[in-house]
Amino acid sequence: MKTLGLLRRQRALLNCAPISEDRLTDRSMRSAVSSAAASADFVNQQNFDRAVAELVRLIPIPPETAEWFSEKDLVVGSKWTWKKMVRNPAVLAISIAVAVIAGVSVFLLVSHLNDFPGSATARKLLTVAASTRPVMLDPVSTEAGTLSDLFFMKHGLEHYDVPDEFADFRTIGCRVFEDEESRRIAQIWLGEKRMQLFLFPAERNTKTGAVLRFPGWRYVHQEGWVGAVTERSGVCFMAALRGGEKDLQPYLSTAAGR
Amino acid sequence: MLGDLRKAQEVFHTTLREAALRAAQGELPKEPFWLFRDARWRCLEASKTDLQPEPLELDEHDVAPEAALQIEQLEPTQLAVWISNAPDPQRAALALFYLDEFDCREILELAELKLSELSRLLAQGRRQLQAWLDAKHPEAHKV
Repeated sequence: MKTLGLLRRQRALLNCAPISEDRLTDRSMRSAVSSAAASADFVNQQNFDRAVAELVRLIPIPPETAEWFSEKDLVVGSKWTWKKMVRNPAVLAISIAVAVIAGVSVFLLVSHLNDFPGSATARKLLTVAASTRPVMLDPVSTEAGTLSDLFFMKHGLEHYDVPDEFADFRTIGCRVFEDEESRRIAQIWLGEKRMQLFLFPAERNTKTGAVLRFPGWRYVHQEGWVGAVTERSGVCFMAALRGGEKDLQPYLSTAAGR
Repeated sequence: MLGDLRKAQEVFHTTLREAALRAAQGELPKEPFWLFRDARWRCLEASKTDLQPEPLELDEHDVAPEAALQIEQLEPTQLAVWISNAPDPQRAALALFYLDEFDCREILELAELKLSELSRLLAQGRRQLQAWLDAKHPEAHKV
């Protein structure tokens, strides 16, 4: 019975055998055709089909209809132009998202390029500088360089020394306070351009406790203020004023002249 | 399918116009061959109003070795009319098969037939066409 079924299916396939060999895509059809290729009946059928198909190709097509097929493209697809692509909402949304991500990445990269141990604290202190009023400080009128002794004697702060570049400027006031991490910070107000000086502990390696040093002066910016920071003997010093780097530059270059 | 150039042209243009409208509205079906199936139904619809031949048993002859010669003597329009006079679904099966544009699976899908049905319709169509050829060009048959 199974063989009979198979034979019936093969017969059915042969009756539908394609006219052109390139339409012989189905495996079962290929197998049926190859097994019957030599049969006279099948050869007759194939010749018959080819002759009919050739005649069908000659059936006239009305010229108005034939025109549709004379063109290269039946339907002219809309070409993708840059303008169209840019106006596509999906492309637009993705472009904006990528631009924002790229912008934020560049911003972070640039800000991290200027990072140094203690830069985060320095930025916070610039905010403090912006909000400090003279009345908040103890009035002290002296040369900034002499306050190191005061900090050591009164508050026990070692190496809280004002660098030579700023040591000769007259002070208006000073104070020592603790930040949210209980680090003791010395703040000095100068008469010179209402500049403020900060001394705070340098950052340390959390495992070894070693001071994380960095050479020379580094700039930080926050809310229209600029700070120049340097590290000496485990203590960071920052000179801060409202303005840009060019306002601080002349004070730092005096070090080279000395 | 229709055996009538004017009607065929009308169906062709209506089918394309409908397809263009659906494309413009973004409602093109995702299934393949929908356009051909649509055209087939329009052809059947268009021929509904025609005079229908009385159902009669056509003679059937086995396909002869000289059939190709007999077919060569036919006019293309004669063949078109003969196919268009066949009842559906045989008409669709013959038209789609002899267009030689689709493989077997595609024809089954387009004409909504099973393999056994398509096989029977094609085999019967060949035998009927052979009988018609024999009646029309008996001299070629005798050669």
